[in-house]
Amino acid sequence: MIHNHIKIAWRNLKKQPFFTFLNTFGLAIGMAGCLLISLYIHDELSYDKMFADADRIHRVNNNIKFGGDERLFAVTPAPMAEALKNDFSEIELVTRFRTRGSALVRKADDLANVKEEQTTYVDASFFEMFGIKMLVGDAGKALTDPNTLVLTKTAAEKHFALANAVGQNLVLNNEENYTVVGVIQDFPQNSFLRDYTIFESMAGLEDASVVNWGSNNYQTFIKLIPKVKAADIQLQLRGFLGKYVIPGVQQFMPGVTEEQFKAAGNHLIFSTIPLTDIHLYSHMVAEISANNDIQSVYILSFIAIFLLLLASVNFMNLSTAYSLKRAKEVGVRKSLGSNKMELVRQFLMESGLISFLSLVLALVLAVVALPFFNTLADKDISIPFANPIFLMVLLVSVIILGLFSGSYPAFFMTRFKPVKVLKGGGGSGVGGSGIRNSLVVFQFAISVFLIVSTLVVYQQLKYIQGKDLGYSKDQILILNDVYTAGDKVTSLKDRIKQLGAVKNVTLSSFFPTPSSRSDSTFSPENGNTSQENAVSMQTWGVDYDYISTLNLELVAGRDFDRIYGSDSTAIIVNEKAVRVMELSPQEALGMQYTPDFDSENPTYYTIIGVLRDFHIASLKEDIDAVSLHLGERAYAMAIKIVAGNFANTIKDIEGVWNTIVPGEPFDYYFMEDAFNDTYVSEQRLGNIFVIFTVLSLLIACLGLFGLAAFNAEKRTKEIGIRKVLGASVGQISIKLTLDFLKLVGIAIIIAMPVGWYAMAKWLEDFSYRIDIPWWIFVLAAFLAVLISVFTVGFQSVKAAIVNPVKSLRTE
Amino acid sequence: MLLQLKNVFKWVNSGGQRVFLLKDINLTVEEGEFISVMGPSGSGKSTLLNVIGMLDSFDEGEYRFLDEPVHTLKEKHRANLYKQYIGFVFQSYHLLDDLTVQENLEMPLLYKKVGSSERKSLVADTLDRFNIVGKKDLFPAQLSGGQQQLVGVARALISSPKLVLADEPTGNLNSKQGEEIMELFKQLNNEGVTIIQVTHSEKNATYGSRIINLLDGRKI
Repeated sequence: MIHNHIKIAWRNLKKQPFFTFLNTFGLAIGMAGCLLISLYIHDELSYDKMFADADRIHRVNNNIKFGGDERLFAVTPAPMAEALKNDFSEIELVTRFRTRGSALVRKADDLANVKEEQTTYVDASFFEMFGIKMLVGDAGKALTDPNTLVLTKTAAEKHFALANAVGQNLVLNNEENYTVVGVIQDFPQNSFLRDYTIFESMAGLEDASVVNWGSNNYQTFIKLIPKVKAADIQLQLRGFLGKYVIPGVQQFMPGVTEEQFKAAGNHLIFSTIPLTDIHLYSHMVAEISANNDIQSVYILSFIAIFLLLLASVNFMNLSTAYSLKRAKEVGVRKSLGSNKMELVRQFLMESGLISFLSLVLALVLAVVALPFFNTLADKDISIPFANPIFLMVLLVSVIILGLFSGSYPAFFMTRFKPVKVLKGGGGSGVGGSGIRNSLVVFQFAISVFLIVSTLVVYQQLKYIQGKDLGYSKDQILILNDVYTAGDKVTSLKDRIKQLGAVKNVTLSSFFPTPSSRSDSTFSPENGNTSQENAVSMQTWGVDYDYISTLNLELVAGRDFDRIYGSDSTAIIVNEKAVRVMELSPQEALGMQYTPDFDSENPTYYTIIGVLRDFHIASLKEDIDAVSLHLGERAYAMAIKIVAGNFANTIKDIEGVWNTIVPGEPFDYYFMEDAFNDTYVSEQRLGNIFVIFTVLSLLIACLGLFGLAAFNAEKRTKEIGIRKVLGASVGQISIKLTLDFLKLVGIAIIIAMPVGWYAMAKWLEDFSYRIDIPWWIFVLAAFLAVLISVFTVGFQSVKAAIVNPVKSLRTE
Repeated sequence: MLLQLKNVFKWVNSGGQRVFLLKDINLTVEEGEFISVMGPSGSGKSTLLNVIGMLDSFDEGEYRFLDEPVHTLKEKHRANLYKQYIGFVFQSYHLLDDLTVQENLEMPLLYKKVGSSERKSLVADTLDRFNIVGKKDLFPAQLSGGQQQLVGVARALISSPKLVLADEPTGNLNSKQGEEIMELFKQLNNEGVTIIQVTHSEKNATYGSRIINLLDGRKI
């Protein structure tokens, strides 16, 4: 019997190629989209789970509110690790990271440097904590001595063969000598250490062993002993404020108690986050690697479910519609003695066959689309065809999808009364159009919702990119690693400034891009250092040309100037800082503040100028208080160049670079690009929205097209009568099209408020955001109507020009 | 003279052979006539009716309707002509299932762009005249076959056509219902409406003033 079912099912599908194509194609698009998104989500959820004992590893967080500013830190004071080890019997192991960004690396006897993007100091317990095996070297002893390091395979092979790696001498940043004690495997893409290639011994870092509870620089990880829950240690961890931090603060604020600290509205809360949650849930200052947001996983899950649902709905819609054609078959079968279950089984076999065909097509589509999807999502996902679990999941999903999609049509069809369908000639008197219409409304509501969302995301991105940031980011090139020039950095600056296409040059380690961070707490000069008047500000070392190069605007006071010798102890702050000080820009001029109030002999800085506020982070965040002062070794150089031939200008700059610091990597980027990188995840979301909006529209249109074709066919008699009674082709086409447009109209009315609400929620994430403009809704509605008119119109006209003699012929 | 067919031929090509549906038909119909077209199945009765009703084209010959040369007219002009002067009655009634009796009656008027108030009064008059006022809000499925055909005839007549074309109007009715419809046609004919009906029934044919017999598309 099952053989017979398959044979009949196959013939039926072949008999209606158009219907089979619409159904298979629609379902395949939905499946392919869903498959890609599922792989993406699976990848996102897999972060850091590869480490043995990942479920027992947690990171210590630090939530500080002080000086009117609340911040979440992924870093803690250096002595935290020791204190945790001593105070908690629940903690088995502690490891700290101190990230130090990029480093220039060469073998002791080489001249040319190789740049490694991410390096970090680690404690020796690193290997045991994360269960890391050495390719060469001894994990048990590694990194216990100062000036030793471990590197990844890729980084090591840039300098020497793995076999003789141990014992080699490497020079970092032209001045630090290290001995290689081991090589480890590269970290996988879905781990928090994916970009890190060099791990230096913490033993050589003096600061790491100093008991200073006032600065936060160390990412501290703990491993709990089995069966201990993270919740069990939180209370004691909070107690660290009174036990360690307050006594530390008392050194420079004598007499401060925990009660006073809290009464002033301050707080400091230590907590932990599981290692495996970091990637999706942690958005703190000083994360080891850039993280994603669980929100984007939710959004994508919704889209995946929507896509599949749309495709499934399509399937039900088309199947029930076309089933009316087969009403007679059902009647005949029933009159020949088939029972209900037999028929249900037959129809389910058909839907199963279609979903299987769709799966094959979907896999082909997914394989073709995968490279594009990977670029879009910035991932390196592959389809795990060899994984039996994946294949099982795929097969089971397809069977479930086939049953789910096929069940309604099957039961719908088997309800046909044989006498009625055999006599009535076709599906007249057979209902179901109400459900079909609701399904169309549902599909279009989702499509309209996605159109609205896409438009809002893009408007917001456009707004961000066009917003006045308070500085000029255009045509500014940032040259990295200028410190390698040492004393020659001034001549480097001068030589570059002399180039024809260069307008201005400034040296600094800090620029208004999100990567620049260095904050300190300042106290006023009058001596009464207290929690109320402390101001937390970014402290950026700059030179005389900083403000003019970046086009920052002074609202009060003046720029740094070489004619004033006293400018070495001058600071220029922004309006936000002045607001935190509760002063007006004019009042602030001449005020003195110090960042090192805990020292015997603090240096006081005088405010000489106030800058208009400028954004230093993504527009998701509020503007930070910033102070600029002269001096310090600069890491980078900002070069303002004239519009025109950038390539030539860059070549000229590289020429200067190579004559002054030969052998050092020439590494630069445009400020504009760094700025845009801040919105990569929004941009990505926007792109993903566009693609899946188009897909869902495509699926909805396939459904509408099939339904319109069916509807026109079902109504041939009516159309014939109307024509005989004098209706013109135009009138009939319009009537048929309007019937569908009504459904689209209802969908629009449903989707608009939902879309508005959802996008308003999304925008709440941005401190600077657009009001959702009304025209977005008009445009979305217009698009939906336009697309459906195109889809349905063709069928309507085709139906309307049929000669009524044909449709009204009495059999 | 209401209409005139001159040497009308209609054929289809089937398997390289020309099969004639109508062969050299000559027919003149005066106003006020009641004509019955008879003949066995496939003799071309319905085709002839469709040609006269301008629903179907023909391949050769001339057709004049109220002195207008139908065969040379443009589609739009032809549509206006039949909207104005011709009403159809079908064997299987062809009422629209989703519309009430009243709405079914109203439809031809809508397509003729008759104004709302005039439409209302015409529908009211017709309901009255055919004695179906009580049924005006019912759907076709709620009526008996005879009643449905009554509505069909009423709909054909609502725009006061000069010519009513009826394709086996009593084919789906029992004898009593059939008789009533035929009596209705007779009465309409007496009021001046020209009627051409296709029928298999000798008895129904006698209601007419003239009988045309067809065989294999040819008048005999």
